[in-house]
Amino acid sequence: MKQSVVIKSNKYGLIVILDGELPFADLEREVAEKFRTSAKFFKNAQMAVTFQGRALSTDEEWALVEAITQNCEIEIMCILNENDLTEEAMRRAVEEHASVGGQDGKFYKGTLRSGQVLESETSIIILGDVNAGAKVISKGNVVVLGTLKGTIYVGAAGNEDAFVAALIMDPMQIRIADVIARKSDKQPTARERKKQEETPKIAYVEDGNIYIEPITKEVLGDIRI
Amino acid sequence: MSEVIVITSGKGGVGKTTTTANVGTGLAKLDKKVVLIDTDIGLRNLDVVMGLENRIVYNLVDVVEGNCRIKQALIKDKRYSNLYLLPSAQTRDKTAVSPEQMIKLIEELREEFDYILLDCPAGIEQGFKNAIAAADRALIVTTPEVSAIRDADRIIGLLEANDIRKIDLIVNRLRMDMVKRGDMMSIEDVVDILAIHLIGAVPDDENIVISTNQGEPLVGDSSMAGIAYMNICKRVLGEEVPFLDLNIKEGFLSKLGKLFK
Repeated sequence: MKQSVVIKSNKYGLIVILDGELPFADLEREVAEKFRTSAKFFKNAQMAVTFQGRALSTDEEWALVEAITQNCEIEIMCILNENDLTEEAMRRAVEEHASVGGQDGKFYKGTLRSGQVLESETSIIILGDVNAGAKVISKGNVVVLGTLKGTIYVGAAGNEDAFVAALIMDPMQIRIADVIARKSDKQPTARERKKQEETPKIAYVEDGNIYIEPITKEVLGDIRI
Repeated sequence: MSEVIVITSGKGGVGKTTTTANVGTGLAKLDKKVVLIDTDIGLRNLDVVMGLENRIVYNLVDVVEGNCRIKQALIKDKRYSNLYLLPSAQTRDKTAVSPEQMIKLIEELREEFDYILLDCPAGIEQGFKNAIAAADRALIVTTPEVSAIRDADRIIGLLEANDIRKIDLIVNRLRMDMVKRGDMMSIEDVVDILAIHLIGAVPDDENIVISTNQGEPLVGDSSMAGIAYMNICKRVLGEEVPFLDLNIKEGFLSKLGKLFK
């Protein structure tokens, strides 16, 4: 009997050859079954994937990726087109996508002024201030070695473990993944402001709320990256 | 029946945004359902003066480009539940919106609100054209300075050319002591030059600076400017309100001080 799902793989990628005629629901079940039985071959791998043998809609592609990731521990980093399937191309694609998140970072030097937006796939360390009206968006974490008064959005790909740290923490809005906090409406008194400026702080999510705490060993100990 | 009012001046820094915030808040105080629209794309301020900057998620450009629904972008005021703000985008420029899109947006808002106030950017370019596109009437803000009046005159001409007939004048930042000394034009002088209906005069008042910095419009409080703005709101609604005497009564001590000068 002809197999409806065939998996080929190298170190960085999977080529999944699909039957062209089988109804999609059956095919999806087949893919799930196939990966469940071969789960032990693919432990914790980060891979690119490509589908061959039949034309798929975007929704169908996602459904199959879902079927794969739920049945074994492969992390699918991206879906590739058929035209570039050398091992080298797959390695590049995987590495490009793997840098997303908290692990990698880059530096930005300068003051971000009102109306300026700094967007990054990786974490950012800003050597300067983020003024009110400016915006920083990162899929990883953000550290501001200066005053943070603008709007900040970390874990933009949905990572609730992302954090924001700043020498002077006074942001207009903080968004970590899908949790949003905004600056208090009350004007701080001169004394409160001075006190606030004395301690570097870190913002993180716990139980669906954003907390802003002075940076201490205990707090840093709980941060996951 | 809703009314769309554009607050404009031509010259920058004469108090358009402060006037929009105060007139809007005042109308809300008088139980009207009001929305303020900041049309100054790229240099937004109205949200800061209203003290609502920390609530902005979506803005005017997001609405026009269909990234969100109007309801999602409208920010409810801190103090008045019948007052809303549609903030402008900070990271774009005036060309992000066209007059046709403004007209369409405001048509939608007309069904919800009694008053739609448009805070116009300085200048007579695209931003100005966007702001006046859907306006029924205009409030011209000017200070008693030659340069501001010159620009106001130009703006009035442009508004008339765009078929906006109902144009009222607000003379802002008036200093009666200087007028008395003959160092500043009086209200009468300004009205004489511009020849449009005067709807109010607002004195130069340090309380304005304080309230603007705190993000709490002062309309309706006991300061001279607060009273002046409230009177303007009532006149916008069509009430007859006598003009305020802007002569500050000198206190006993300052009189005594002058005696010994």
